[in-house]
Amino acid sequence: MTTKDTLLTDSAHVNGVDIAYVDKGEGDPVVLLHGFPDSHYLWRHQIDPLVEAGFRVIAPDLRGFGGSGKPQEVEAYDMRTIVNDVVALTQHLGISKAHIVGHDWGAAIAWMYAFLMPRRVDHLAVLSVGHPGVFSTPSIEQRAASWYMLFYQFPGVSEQLLRRNGWRLFKEIMGGEGDHQRYPRELAKPGALTAALNYYRANRSPESELRVEGNFPPVLAPTLGIWSSGDKALLEEGMTGSAKFVKGSWRYERVEDASHWIPLDQPEQVTKLLLGFLGTEKAAAVPTRRRRL
Amino acid sequence: MSVEHTGVDVVVVGGGIAGASGAANLAANGLSVVLLEKQETYQDIVRGEWIAPWGLREAQILGVEDAFGVGGAWEIREWTQWDETVAPAEAETVDMTRFVPGVGGPMSFPHHTVCELMAEQAEESGATVVMGAQRATVTAGLHPEVRYTHQGEDHLIRPRMVIGATGRGCTVGRQVGVSMATSVHHWGGGLRVSGLDDWPMDVQAMGTEDDKMFMVFPQGDGVARLYINFPTANRERYRGAEGMSRFIADFELACLPDRGKAVYAAAEPLGPLKLWPSVAMFPEQPIVMDGVVLVGDEAGNADTVLGTGLSCSLRDTRAVCEVLTGGDDWSPGAFDAYLAERKFRMERLHFGADIIAKLHCEFGPEAAARRRRVRALMADNFAASVTGLLNMVPPEDVPDFGFSEFFAERLFRETV
Ligand SMILES: Cc1cc2nc3c(=O)[nH]c(=O)nc-3n(C[C@H](O)[C@H](O)[C@H](O)COP(=O)(O)OP(=O)(O)OC[C@H]3O[C@@H](n4cnc5c(N)ncnc54)[C@H](O)[C@@H]3O)c2cc1C
Repeated sequence: MTTKDTLLTDSAHVNGVDIAYVDKGEGDPVVLLHGFPDSHYLWRHQIDPLVEAGFRVIAPDLRGFGGSGKPQEVEAYDMRTIVNDVVALTQHLGISKAHIVGHDWGAAIAWMYAFLMPRRVDHLAVLSVGHPGVFSTPSIEQRAASWYMLFYQFPGVSEQLLRRNGWRLFKEIMGGEGDHQRYPRELAKPGALTAALNYYRANRSPESELRVEGNFPPVLAPTLGIWSSGDKALLEEGMTGSAKFVKGSWRYERVEDASHWIPLDQPEQVTKLLLGFLGTEKAAAVPTRRRRL
Repeated sequence: MSVEHTGVDVVVVGGGIAGASGAANLAANGLSVVLLEKQETYQDIVRGEWIAPWGLREAQILGVEDAFGVGGAWEIREWTQWDETVAPAEAETVDMTRFVPGVGGPMSFPHHTVCELMAEQAEESGATVVMGAQRATVTAGLHPEVRYTHQGEDHLIRPRMVIGATGRGCTVGRQVGVSMATSVHHWGGGLRVSGLDDWPMDVQAMGTEDDKMFMVFPQGDGVARLYINFPTANRERYRGAEGMSRFIADFELACLPDRGKAVYAAAEPLGPLKLWPSVAMFPEQPIVMDGVVLVGDEAGNADTVLGTGLSCSLRDTRAVCEVLTGGDDWSPGAFDAYLAERKFRMERLHFGADIIAKLHCEFGPEAAARRRRVRALMADNFAASVTGLLNMVPPEDVPDFGFSEFFAERLFRETV
């Protein structure tokens, strides 16, 4: 009855789940990965300009969000599983190497994709969320700063608690940022809130944050990090400190007058930054693994 | 020639709070439902946007409460009783979150988006929602008929039951021979605004100063619905091109902190300014007959000053849905409990509305003196504020003494 907020063009069953996605344009592929609690729709201002600039844009709804499948078990949301969704989707589309762009959880997935699958990554652009090596040791200040962390501070945060009294707690946490009016509508759909919260439940529980996860393979791709000064959730150090995990070239851009939702708050600037970066450098030379004879 | 639809159990005429919630509930319970709404798309036609905790309880029972939260409802937790009879810093604050178990405070919401979501929910549950249904005409009887026009085409439905829910226009009621006696106590104006960043979003205001009763109901994120009730003699005051700015400027009030600067200096209109006579409606014939039952404003309602119209509409709908989903007897007699409960409820609401209107929507030195006296009485004896409970809990849960002539007399006694 109403116009739905969707640009989706296709859907595919990959890695055991239905993934809905946008596939638009021709040229070098760019994969856009949204975060919590968004969908491909986060990238609505970037998709067409990228297509016009000669890219093939792939923007999936990550599992648990938007039009994609929403398994209800926590284990289904392990980061590696989600990285594998992206691998499987790109394989399904006949794409072997792509520019990877991510925001929020999508950035965390992009980082992991980049260091686990270096051959599949051309350029890497990450918004808001820095490399997990930096992120896994948040300062007290960072913990306190954010709605983002609220989920960790209240590990028992439940669907019921967030929905109660007209989604009051959820609205308080979100404030007036991002697509705040749209999120509850999306999350009210059957199974959607549980799926979205499972990202937090499956990853980075307070206990696992205490575990020191060293030894990340280096990121070889040319990498662009973008952070916004209006981000109430994440500190700039999280992004700038990521430099030391990147062996390819590293660029950092700080965006002013934008909340955590940079692609929505500064749409043109984000498009410009992406167009000025993707495909401009030689992709990483990935050392071929030595085979034993 | 008209298109005929068969196999329909219930036609709901009017997709406001009463009709849309009913269609959603009936469809979810497996009935074949058609909802006819005359608007092409839901617009801000200025209806109630403050719903009492007891109304939210009804929404929970009907299974439509998420339409509120998701459609932009904001729980209001406190009511600070600013009024010309008290200094701004001394106004008392009531915690509104604890009156009804399982429900928090009242909610303030954009009315049209919530109706739209309820209609969407009805559709998702299998109802047919016809937006832009024109000239709906209902004939009552053992085999009722509904005719309407949609996109230039005539349609005919012969359902088992018709629910009339066209609101204060009482279109279905008039077609089936129900007329309304009305009384108007004062006029009101309503406007939805944004930009109230300095207004505490947890706090609502409702008070009187000079010749206006003002209300501020926050909807979160700097948005609020503003109302002003004013004497009928002044009903032209917000008309004309400058009406909107006069309306906003009138929130400069000595009884608000900082003279109401957080409102009058900041408010940006988000919709139309609507002016209406605050009318109470009393049906003069039975609202149930063979094949037709009326709900919501169409069945009669108390003065809007009470802010219970939405809750009443949902209560009506719930009662009617219980009959329609509870068994095969849809004859008028099956609705006896609904009629009895509604009669009792409306008597209490009309009684309470008279008290509130007399207290807050009468103006001038005499009325202010009365308000001062009543406030003193309430401060002395909390029981004197019993009428205010009608905003929070259902009428049957308000203590009986609040509805006696003796109480009203005590309250308004001009000399102590
Ligand atoms: C300005 C104002 C402020 C109010 N404030 C409050 C408040 O704060 N709290 C509160 O609880 N109550 C309040 N009320 C009362 C409350 O809005 C009503 O009691 C409630 O909206 C009634 O709901 P309803 O569905 O019966 O009617 P309505 O809300 O009037 O809905 C009727 C619907 O039927 C449609 N319709 C009308 N005629 C036809 C037709 N012929 N064919 C098809 N469709 C038709 C209309 O387009 C509309 O969508 C207020 C009322 C007004 C006017």
